[in-house]
Amino acid sequence: MQSAAYRVGLVFFPAFDWAISPDHPEREERLLYTRDQIAEEGLLDVEGIQEYRPLIASDADICRAHICVPTVNSVVTQSHRIAAGGSMLAADLVLEGKADRAFALLRPPGHHAMRIVHGSRGFCNVNNEAIMVEHIRSVYGADKRIAIVDTDAHHADGTQDIFYNDPGVLHISLHQDGRTLYPGTGFANERGGPAAYGMTINVPLPPGTGDPGMLYVMDHLVLPILRDWQPDLIVNAAGQDNHYTDPLTSMSFTAQGYARLTKMLAPDIVVLEGGYSIEGALPYVNLGILLALAGMDTSAVREPDWQPEVAAESREVGYAIARTVETLQDMWSARRDADLEAIFGSGRFFHRRREIYYDTDNIAERQTEQIRLCGGACSGWRSIRSEALHAFTGRTVRIGAVIVPRRACAQCRRDAQGEFEQMSADARAGCLDFAYLQDIEGNASAVRS
Amino acid sequence: MSCVPVVGIDVGGSNTDAALIICGEVAGTAKVPTDPDSLIHSTAAAFEEALQAAGCVRKPFELHLSTTLSTNAIVEGRGDPTLALAVPGPGMRVEDLGLRFPIQQIAGSIDHRGRVTGPVDMESVHRALRAAADRGVTALSIAGKFSHRNPCHELQIEQAAQAGYPEFTSVTTGHRVSGRSNFPRRLATAYLNASIARQQGVFVEMVEELMLRERGAARGTATAIGKAFLLKANGGTMRLAESARRPIEAILSGPAASTMGALALAANPGANAAVIDIGGTTTDISVLVAGIPVFDRLGAVISGHATLVPALFSRSIGLGGDSEVRAEQSAIRIGPRRAGTPTILGGTALTPTDAATALGLAAIGASHRHLGRAVEALAAFGEPIGLAPMAAAEAIVSAFAAQLAAEIDSAYRQLESAPVYTVSEMLAPRDIRPRSLIGLGAPAPVFVPRAAALMGLSFELLPHHAAANAVGAAASRPTASITLHADTALGTLTIPEAGYSTTVPLKPAFDLKRARAEALSWAGRAAVELGLDAADDASIVEEESFNVVRGFRTVGHIYSIKAQVRPEAQRIGSLCSAMGESTGGTGGR
Repeated sequence: MQSAAYRVGLVFFPAFDWAISPDHPEREERLLYTRDQIAEEGLLDVEGIQEYRPLIASDADICRAHICVPTVNSVVTQSHRIAAGGSMLAADLVLEGKADRAFALLRPPGHHAMRIVHGSRGFCNVNNEAIMVEHIRSVYGADKRIAIVDTDAHHADGTQDIFYNDPGVLHISLHQDGRTLYPGTGFANERGGPAAYGMTINVPLPPGTGDPGMLYVMDHLVLPILRDWQPDLIVNAAGQDNHYTDPLTSMSFTAQGYARLTKMLAPDIVVLEGGYSIEGALPYVNLGILLALAGMDTSAVREPDWQPEVAAESREVGYAIARTVETLQDMWSARRDADLEAIFGSGRFFHRRREIYYDTDNIAERQTEQIRLCGGACSGWRSIRSEALHAFTGRTVRIGAVIVPRRACAQCRRDAQGEFEQMSADARAGCLDFAYLQDIEGNASAVRS
Repeated sequence: MSCVPVVGIDVGGSNTDAALIICGEVAGTAKVPTDPDSLIHSTAAAFEEALQAAGCVRKPFELHLSTTLSTNAIVEGRGDPTLALAVPGPGMRVEDLGLRFPIQQIAGSIDHRGRVTGPVDMESVHRALRAAADRGVTALSIAGKFSHRNPCHELQIEQAAQAGYPEFTSVTTGHRVSGRSNFPRRLATAYLNASIARQQGVFVEMVEELMLRERGAARGTATAIGKAFLLKANGGTMRLAESARRPIEAILSGPAASTMGALALAANPGANAAVIDIGGTTTDISVLVAGIPVFDRLGAVISGHATLVPALFSRSIGLGGDSEVRAEQSAIRIGPRRAGTPTILGGTALTPTDAATALGLAAIGASHRHLGRAVEALAAFGEPIGLAPMAAAEAIVSAFAAQLAAEIDSAYRQLESAPVYTVSEMLAPRDIRPRSLIGLGAPAPVFVPRAAALMGLSFELLPHHAAANAVGAAASRPTASITLHADTALGTLTIPEAGYSTTVPLKPAFDLKRARAEALSWAGRAAVELGLDAADDASIVEEESFNVVRGFRTVGHIYSIKAQVRPEAQRIGSLCSAMGESTGGTGGR
């Protein structure tokens, strides 16, 4: 039997008995043909490629990354717990040295799930990468520097939200331009919060971007930034909907392109995100990624309908990508020179208001947020007041949440506690339905009204 | 219960065992040394002895044979030169598959749903066939990626070979060897099968002659041959004649024979149990769940060839009566190497057998005239680690039991970590853990009770343990398994093992219920072809059902069903005190 240059841990969980609804793209059938392809290729007989059964994420695992409203069980199914737990296991395999690299090839996906979860958006309930990153930092060291490179065609707005003000996580999202695709965000000027400015990098790509454009971005932007920042771990959130056959997007990436991207990026952990060309793309893209992770030859991986033209890009697309890359290169090198006062103000707090739409569950959420501009090593406590209108039921849920970041200073910790007591009082008085305290280094707690 | 006498013969590496079963009871056993150059002679000799031991029962009988013939042919690389044609299509490079034999690649491709995505290049097929035939090659294997979903390319090549190249007397197609996914294994299985088919054919003829001789002696006529069966790696049998077509299924039948022996002889075979077969060099661990032997997930691995041959799960560890014993700091480690002949049997090595015998725990076949030397060896071993001879012996026996218990646990952990693909299986894992250990093999009475005590389990030692493999062969029945794949969106249904393809309509004309019925009936039919009397005992062992949705509309269904006539052992009673063997007993906590 052949052997792999890198030992790869494969956590494969296709959830063959779970769907959002029978005809939904996120249904039982999604990874069927991928399973068939991997099994038929005999990949699991390769010396060094080892398949593992996922873990089941607990409430505590999920609550490190999320505030679930009203409870974890009300917004996740067992299937979500397994997808999150499988991602955690993938990290364990690498960090415990059982594998050189790991691939969490599982569903349902998670990268549209934000810190506060009222329901499902973009087919996502909880964020697999975020739960994994918080698991890594809780178990293997809070100072681990982790880079997430999201190559799904949709902007990873959930992951961006969770690590928005987190200087320990570099989040790079490559995606089809938000003006042409859900969720409509992910522009170059979204660069992170006051304590992590420049650590969020968005690369909006024009529709029609193919192999040359994606690989150009890797070569000229992603890899130089990673060389510069020197992460301890590189996570690839590998959505497969940039593929030329994907029914929901307008990109022209191929299985060969994904394989080359994986070789270039050399991620420690790959987590599957979206991708709904379940027959024409996923079997071949997943095969390409697995072989590339194992350091094996990918030259014979090809879609049956592949023609040289499918990945071709127009000249305009190439120019547009080059311009975006140039802008982002400049932003990265100048990130420390940014005038933070001009962006976040000079007061004690930075305030922002947002409206978030949950397409899958038809929920409209309004958030007001304040972040303490603490300075120094402390990224500042935060509070969020959120009101969610559940259109299907007509019910409105109002919550308050206080977030104590890792390595918060003593003052921020005290102030956060004070704010949580205020919110709890509001909850008792009926002004809020629930109040939450998320304190990753302490214990999260919730108070019901 | 059938009252036709059955002779079970297990041709092992060093000994050939035979057991004669009459009306569900062991009527005689025999043991002769295996002649590696002539397995048929060993078979005949063991056969004769078993009949004599039983007082010359000569009436119509069945012969159940477990032999290392095909295993040896592969392990020793004695297969015939074989042309292996592969139709890989895109994916992993064939050069990277790590196959241990040369293959000829043919262009052509079929996708995961069995659609032809590239035609097979017949010109290069003809070139390859011509060239191989001219070199004198007579065996041919043909395997394509996804041929289990659509065998058309394999069939096209097979037809070309049959029509124009009579030189190829042994042809194996990949889809017929297994309906399971795994192209490299399918390639290897088809190749190995083709390469040993001729030799198996010769062996079948020799056994048939032997049968004629025995029958002739009984009745003075050589017209009818008693039924003869060959044991397979999955613990089932097939008609001897059938084995010339599918010799690959007979590999590694030895461990299967011991598991089936345990099923036949155990007092309580219906419970979860581990079967522990302890020999001189190795111990084989196999697993019963609710009395049904657990299968290897993918298929047997032989001599570095991963195959799709259905096989019982068996973990072989280097731990036996003749294993090496050594002290590592204060801990005692046993195996995995064989030390040589135990001191107590006249050798020079200190082994677990010496320790057990010195403690009076084991009655070794040989006399105890070397007991003094064994105690000396124990003293020499114990001295540097501060143990008196008997304390050293006790420590060695305990270390053996502890290692055995750890290996049993690890085998279960391996089975329990097998991937599952549904939420329900994740949430409700099957309880496969053993309630008892079933021991067989000469050293079992010493070590199995101790390992069971360490694991908090009860134990059972099998009667006739030395001939349990032969009993297992005798007690087994024909088995067959088939894989049905129906894709109603494409309108296709294939049962590759049966060489059956047809068209199917959409729901409600064809649904899961019909797919199940079809699968059961084909599994039964396949078992009858292999010698089973009635076709009504098939069961479904795996099942998947998917909606095929395109553009937010269900356009069909995919049903994948594996049906099987599963291995089953006739219950064998333990009457024969004439056997001169320990009949063991049950005990534990």
